Amino acid sequence: MAKPTKPLYSSLDEWVDVQPLEQYEKVNPLAPIFYTDEYKDATSYFRGIVKSGEMSPRVLDLTEHIIRLNPAHYTAWQYRYRTLMSIKAPLDVELKLMDELAVKYLKTYQVWHHRRLILTETRDPQRELAFVEESLREDTKNYHTWSHRQWVLSHFNDIDLWRGELDFLDTMFNQDIRNNSAWHHRFFVVFQSGVREGEEDRERVVRRELTFTKQNISFAPNNPSAWNYLRGVLEFNKLPFSTVTTFVFPYTQPTDPEAVDLVDLDNPPPSKQAELPCPAAIEFLADIYESEGGESLLKANQLWKSLADEHDTMRKRYWEYRIKESLQKGST
Amino acid sequence: MANSRPPRPAPDDAFPTSTSRLQAETEAVLLDHIPTQVQAETAQLPAKLNKSAHVQFLARNFIQGFPAKYTSQDASQPWLMFWTLQSFSVLQVGLDPGNKQRAIDTILTWQHPDGGFGGGPGQAAHLLASYASVCALSIAGGQGEKGGWDQIDRKKMYQFFMSLKQPDGSFLVAHHAEVDVRGIYCLLVTATLLDIITPELVEGTASFIASCQTYEGGFSSASQPYYSSEPYTPKSLLSSPRPPLGEAHGGYTFCALASWVMLQPFLDLSPRGISRDRPQINVKSLLRWLVQMQGSAAEIGGFRGRTNKLVDGCYSWWVGGAFSLLEALGVGASVIGPVPGDGEDSRASGRDTEPGEEGKDGENEHEWDDVDDSFFNREALQEYILYAGQHPTGGLRDKPPKNADAYHTMYCLSGLSSAQHRMFPSVERREQLQEAWKAPSPDDTLPGKIRKETFLNSLSWTEDESASKILGGEANRVNATHPVFNLTITHSEAIMSHFYGQTVPPRVRSST
Repeated sequence: MAKPTKPLYSSLDEWVDVQPLEQYEKVNPLAPIFYTDEYKDATSYFRGIVKSGEMSPRVLDLTEHIIRLNPAHYTAWQYRYRTLMSIKAPLDVELKLMDELAVKYLKTYQVWHHRRLILTETRDPQRELAFVEESLREDTKNYHTWSHRQWVLSHFNDIDLWRGELDFLDTMFNQDIRNNSAWHHRFFVVFQSGVREGEEDRERVVRRELTFTKQNISFAPNNPSAWNYLRGVLEFNKLPFSTVTTFVFPYTQPTDPEAVDLVDLDNPPPSKQAELPCPAAIEFLADIYESEGGESLLKANQLWKSLADEHDTMRKRYWEYRIKESLQKGST
Repeated sequence: MANSRPPRPAPDDAFPTSTSRLQAETEAVLLDHIPTQVQAETAQLPAKLNKSAHVQFLARNFIQGFPAKYTSQDASQPWLMFWTLQSFSVLQVGLDPGNKQRAIDTILTWQHPDGGFGGGPGQAAHLLASYASVCALSIAGGQGEKGGWDQIDRKKMYQFFMSLKQPDGSFLVAHHAEVDVRGIYCLLVTATLLDIITPELVEGTASFIASCQTYEGGFSSASQPYYSSEPYTPKSLLSSPRPPLGEAHGGYTFCALASWVMLQPFLDLSPRGISRDRPQINVKSLLRWLVQMQGSAAEIGGFRGRTNKLVDGCYSWWVGGAFSLLEALGVGASVIGPVPGDGEDSRASGRDTEPGEEGKDGENEHEWDDVDDSFFNREALQEYILYAGQHPTGGLRDKPPKNADAYHTMYCLSGLSSAQHRMFPSVERREQLQEAWKAPSPDDTLPGKIRKETFLNSLSWTEDESASKILGGEANRVNATHPVFNLTITHSEAIMSHFYGQTVPPRVRSST
């Protein structure tokens, strides 16, 4: 049993005016939780406070106490927020507390949302991106942390905030090119949140993104995040997959021990240690053939069959479906 | 799966990063849980669902209580109740009348005086808690003074829902709380079961859902609205930019897709829905993303929840269960069939219907008897759950060597159910329901039509019993579960016919 961090409220004179409320008064509940005495005591006083509607500084202490024992107690968060607003508590102090709690309870929805509420009030996101970067060190794929960053950028939509995003992403990619959260963030920044100063030349942006993606595929071809991004860039910009046929083709072939190192920025070849053929490349090439139609459908079918029977047997049913679907389409 | 040769590890192209290292460590652990050739041949294959151990695990927490570490779930008491009750239902275990009544009485203490249910007594109303409470009541409750169903304050529930609605069609999960598609799913299931779904409630919601689809094909938690900033005009929502917040994720994808399915009557009937502005999702990229989430043989065919993350038993339901939902959109097993080859072309070309129309009707089922007509590897998913998902002392889990918990027990079991059974919206069943539909007077208003369509769509889900595939034999059979609600068909029919004032015609062969 955890050691109590504070004396019980029931033993404190300054809380004697609050009537604590038992959780279950008339019911013998099923599926109850064996709480510690400390938690039971704190939440009983909290229920008493909610009932009386009191909003005061001591409510901030009480809700912080409960949150530290159970950061998912959304009612404590909600009541805390209303109390902060009601007594006009200093929000910079609150944000400092949140700096500590967010890192401590990284996986909780509420810590991030509370932060968002406070920032919406203060309208001062200046140190927010640095804070997020720091939190990502603890957990590089934390869903809430990444969404929070995206919210900060799009909600405040301040050019100064956006400016550093690609550099920030470079550091993330340098750590782990397989971090899908970073790839998603890149798509969010580059394509889905409006066009900002310096990015107006969309053709140049698309070229840059294609070069970036191809290069990363060449380092580690079996990285589904990079292939999904490549698909995303082409689809979003309504470019046919055949734009990158020359690049994709070598990745669909077995490793070539004779290959010589050559620098080709447009079509970087697979690294020497690449494990080929790469199923994602085969799928990609099959999609190219399928969109060509006619005779090429046969080539697409052969590739799907090689995925079904050899390179990606777990998805056999899906590849067979693709074959069937393309034949149905082809015959109508 | 049993094989003398270990499965091929995920290729890292001699370019290791933290993702590939973690992946390799996980595969090494999973490898120990794949039966060897020798075990397989000597029939020591542990492909047994240890039902009694799981029931004991559930019953212990249910009757005696959850240990103190579950304090982190104190604001999710309705979930602990729902996970337990629904796990019992999937395991074909019923509750005695005394415990049923205790369950009903416990659940009703979570109802908030201003509408909706909270995470425990005295807690604020919350969409997730409302879903879990109402679903738990669907299982344990009934009509009448003490039954729980008639004690749900539907009018206040509706007001609570409306008070959470945002200008972009989304909903806060609770007052002053976040927006995300879990909340929308929970709201729509609750409103569907309780017959309080209206055009007013769901206006704009389908567009919001559509805006959460990412370039990968799956859905994110939410999207960010941008509003026009023209001076002196009411602010209006822009259709672009409207970026997803967060990457494609299994849990959110299930919630978004199930919501999309529940919104179909509204889209099919309302003026906005039938106009050119009808919101769209990309089903093709969604299907691709869903199948890509299934792990390799080295991961025993379990599902992951995001690209380049680890497999986890709970995605057996969130991702594995999502495939049935596609059937409601006309993309499903019935359109796959065998690969045309020798002599099979005539069968394939014999179907000229649109995917999802008659093709999924019972009539044609005999054509597909010889094939595993699913998009994903149902057998492999069952192996993951049976070999890696079961904790030796009862309950199910994320992956070894983790402990079992109530959440993973439920979603592994529901995932197992969706891998064993094939559910589809039956045209035949729909007609039966339509014929039996009772209305005091014909209701041709939009809300009236949506209400009826919602009822018909929800209850036309039927098990295709010829397509069951139960790894490890009949003893491993679990109940089929409703692909949208995650309740058994029996429970779904009972609560919906109560609130819609309908009598559901008996099914020829009961699926539960």
